[in-house]
Amino acid sequence: MAEQVVFHPDILCIPEGGEKPYLIAYKCSCGSAWFPKLPFCPNCWSDKLEPMPLSRTGKLYTYTIVAIPQPGLQAPLAYGFVNFPEGVSVCAQIDVQGDLETIQKALHIDMDVEVAAGVIRKDKDGNETISYRFKPI
Amino acid sequence: MNDREVYIIGAGMTQLYRKAPMPLDELGRQAIFAAVKDAGINFKEIGSVTVGNMGGLSGAICIGQRIACSLGLGGVPMINVESACSSGAMAVNKAVEHVASGKCDVALAVGVEHLSSVRGSGTAFAPDSRDPEGLQGATMPGIYAMRTRRYMHEFGATLEDMALVAVKNRRHAMNNPYSSFRTPITVEEVVNARMVADPLTLLMSCPNADGGASVVVATKEVAQRLGKKLVKVAASHITSGIFKNSFRDFTEMEITIRGAKESYEEAGLGPDDISMVECHDAFVIGEVLYLEAMGFCKHGEAIPFLKSGQSDYGGKVVFSPRGGLLSCGHPTGCSGCAQIVEATWQLRGEAGDRQVPGCKAALTHVTGGGVYGLDNAACTIHILTN
Repeated sequence: MAEQVVFHPDILCIPEGGEKPYLIAYKCSCGSAWFPKLPFCPNCWSDKLEPMPLSRTGKLYTYTIVAIPQPGLQAPLAYGFVNFPEGVSVCAQIDVQGDLETIQKALHIDMDVEVAAGVIRKDKDGNETISYRFKPI
Repeated sequence: MNDREVYIIGAGMTQLYRKAPMPLDELGRQAIFAAVKDAGINFKEIGSVTVGNMGGLSGAICIGQRIACSLGLGGVPMINVESACSSGAMAVNKAVEHVASGKCDVALAVGVEHLSSVRGSGTAFAPDSRDPEGLQGATMPGIYAMRTRRYMHEFGATLEDMALVAVKNRRHAMNNPYSSFRTPITVEEVVNARMVADPLTLLMSCPNADGGASVVVATKEVAQRLGKKLVKVAASHITSGIFKNSFRDFTEMEITIRGAKESYEEAGLGPDDISMVECHDAFVIGEVLYLEAMGFCKHGEAIPFLKSGQSDYGGKVVFSPRGGLLSCGHPTGCSGCAQIVEATWQLRGEAGDRQVPGCKAALTHVTGGGVYGLDNAACTIHILTN
């Protein structure tokens, strides 16, 4: 039977009270911030990395809409890099439905997007992987 | 780095096929045979063999030994290297090191790939799916498409501007008998071709190909004994990506800026000295970004540089005289070595109808690998002079 698997529980928080989800970066005492969680800070090798919730919204730095996706993913598929005010850049799928032209019209560089949780891929048995996505505001 | 000066004494390659009529190991053997014959040495003089191949694709282990031992090359250090598209150039770097350090006087490198047997057309190379970006569906065309879109946004470049790279490189490949992609194309055809990753179309992306390429390097004494026109390895440089997940500038290629600067220092040369470049133009945006990253023009000025013919025959530097990856195809593990074969022929004046007039110094550049948090995983640069 098909299952849903939530990926990245250490970097994606889906609040139980129905509040909107957000991402969690990790801040090192040396001042660097990392996403996702790393075992050691690449800057100073400290293992004392503290969770740092990121803002729920960020700016779309750049994006693409792929017509030839990875095997098992549906095209057209949009994804892009979003810059968060905390100084971290994250790449994820962008939740816009429709054909290429519809998606092209819906997206532009520097637009605000918010973090959402959703299905990012399905395996051949229909098992769904749930993780973070971005949604135009 | 050079303890001893190193020279390229032999260069050879196979046709770059859409679909090779022979298996991977045979492509490797043909390339080695061509390079050793070109060098005019006895194969028993070869003191080390390094093989570049994009691991994980063929599923083969010890591919070098499979290729080279039945040619009678066994009994010496034989090393298999892998860093995605950089593999073939990395193999050359190892051969250069073996001669420079005095481990041996003659060393051989080969880069080889048989993509058609492991990848269907209509699939895109992707980072590892355990990689956070890979899990989200990122593909290599997608990553370069994101660079293209940001570059167009910041500098007002158009898709027609980007298409000029593909049109130019195809025109160059028309004079390259080793390429299988020699039909001329127009800006209109490039822009209207099938979409791969918006805004990049199929003709803005390198095709898959199969092929093998090989070079033999040696000391100056050996090179002089053979009597061919000398081609010196002025720089052989490898660097790796620096992990970063703070804001990145997608219009700058940090790893190539750094690698080029260090390579110029190693060679004691600068961009003004370079006659030709074979760069990692897997997508049209590559040549645009690398013109800037290698210092041929300022940041944001690649399009006017390209449009005024400065990266073409008769300009400041000829980019991709053999047609680049865009019009030779990209047999991943082979390409870095094939670029060095081309540079050797150009520096000897043996490049036929695509000869760069007065070629004095050639730069080859190949990056490799989409890994989370890195511009590219690897960047290998060679500067050759005559």
